[in-house]
Amino acid sequence: MAEIVEADNYEGIITRIEHKSRKIESLLKQYKPVEALKTALEGSPPKTKDERCKSANWIVVHRAIMAIKDVDSLFSALDPEYYDILMKYLYRGLSTGDRPTCDQCLRIHEKLTEKAGLGCILRCLADTVNTV
Amino acid sequence: MWASTNRATIWAQKIAKLILSLQSCNFGVLLFTTPQFFFFSADRSILDSSNTLQITQRLDSRSRFTGKSMAATSVHKFAQCISCHAWSPDLSMIAFCPNNSEVHIYKLSEDKWEKVHVLQKHDQIVSGIDWSYRSNKIVTVSHDRNSYVWNQEATGWVPTLVILRLNRAALCVQWSPKENKFAVGSGAKTVCICYYEQENNWWVSKLIRKRHDSSVTSIAWHPNNVLLATTSTDGKCRVFSTFIKGVDAKESATGNSADTKFGEQIVQLDLCFCWAFGVRWSPSGNTLAYVGHNSMIYFVDEVGPSAAAQSVAIRDLPLRDVLFLSERMVVGVGFDCNPMVFVADESGLWSFLRFLEERKSASSSAKYGSQFSEAFGKFYGQSKFSASNNVEQSRGAHDNCINCILPLAKQRKSSVTRFTTSGLDGKIVTWDLQKQEDLLDYL
Repeated sequence: MAEIVEADNYEGIITRIEHKSRKIESLLKQYKPVEALKTALEGSPPKTKDERCKSANWIVVHRAIMAIKDVDSLFSALDPEYYDILMKYLYRGLSTGDRPTCDQCLRIHEKLTEKAGLGCILRCLADTVNTV
Repeated sequence: MWASTNRATIWAQKIAKLILSLQSCNFGVLLFTTPQFFFFSADRSILDSSNTLQITQRLDSRSRFTGKSMAATSVHKFAQCISCHAWSPDLSMIAFCPNNSEVHIYKLSEDKWEKVHVLQKHDQIVSGIDWSYRSNKIVTVSHDRNSYVWNQEATGWVPTLVILRLNRAALCVQWSPKENKFAVGSGAKTVCICYYEQENNWWVSKLIRKRHDSSVTSIAWHPNNVLLATTSTDGKCRVFSTFIKGVDAKESATGNSADTKFGEQIVQLDLCFCWAFGVRWSPSGNTLAYVGHNSMIYFVDEVGPSAAAQSVAIRDLPLRDVLFLSERMVVGVGFDCNPMVFVADESGLWSFLRFLEERKSASSSAKYGSQFSEAFGKFYGQSKFSASNNVEQSRGAHDNCINCILPLAKQRKSSVTRFTTSGLDGKIVTWDLQKQEDLLDYL
């Protein structure tokens, strides 16, 4: 029940994402791109049906993804629990068709697939309920 | 930049390969619920009826099997494609459907498989076969929406029609442990429980309706002969009571009299957000395992109001079917063409242990290349491409999706070491774990 209430509370989610955005900016200023990406992925709203919330979170995640310079060091610091959600956002990035975004997403996608295997891609493609 | 785009093409190929293997598999059609489309697909998917028997003695010729611990003990290519198979009670005969409307029965005599019977009664692809242990009856179900129970008599196998009352294809079938009932899963979002009525000399079908939101892909009987687990393409796994008055004795039920009404849903597991396939109970009936098309396998203990579920994410391609070898060991088969072993530790925590077949993995870049040409091989027919490169070397016993796994035992036992798998490559492979020392601890 609590989950449903939270999922419907769009304003609450937006506020949280705004808060997250500020935190990410400060992390990026401290040259902590991996920490920023973790923060962006944490508490993503896949359960909500509201596209505004999903888009708002995508903007935040996109900011963090684009700030990643060294993909190898990203995966030495990123825990496996983030792999599935990161893969979902990479596919969202690829779907934008924006050249720099796609380049960056493909670079990370290659390493992520090496790390997490094809199962990770399958979990991302097969799940039509918890979309990002 | 070019390199990364090229990688993306390779991934697209890999996914195309998966979709391709899905399409070549009969179960692909069950997702379309409009009747016209359905019948069209069902007719189209008959691949090859004029199959010739090719017994490939791969074990001798392949160097990769010379390792000290090989798990696959025999590989036989029976047809172009096998949709399902079943063993006779004494394990001397095998029944399978070569992806058409027939069921072929082969007998092993003097190390050679001989075709002894062909069961022809269905009009469309046979999607499920089960051969009962004790009563020596074969039940078959087909996309033509009918089921037959075959009895062996002096003249051969005699079919009895079972009217399932379905408006979509039947997809899977299984005898109950006591063999007085059998269950059929269907594309009509229903499960049929069939039982024999002595006075009418007739098999009666009772339907569990309005419980599934999509096709029922797999069913599994609990050892108590009453509970039935189902998986469906709506992503859920459900457990029902199939208590039928006059067929089941009161004491054989779960104990709780409230749960014994026919068709009552005991539990609905909503863990997987995509198609669910392949469900089985552990030998004791304490644990339930099923797989999802999202490369996950789910283990459920204490099925009931306080069910405890574990989900294990798989690194590789999704599974299609599972089998409990013991209370603590599960083998999953599927799109990776190589059985995966899952084990539970002392605390009951399930994890992936290893692939059953160790395949030589080339260096990372070479692997991408071989996957690429492998995908092409799928498009243009296997033989053309396998001759020109060394992909064949890294292949295992199966080279296409495995969709059926069965224990190889003369009766229901608490642990089995031998089992067989069949798949879209038309092979039936026998596996033996006797020499797999690391796995014997879990039996």
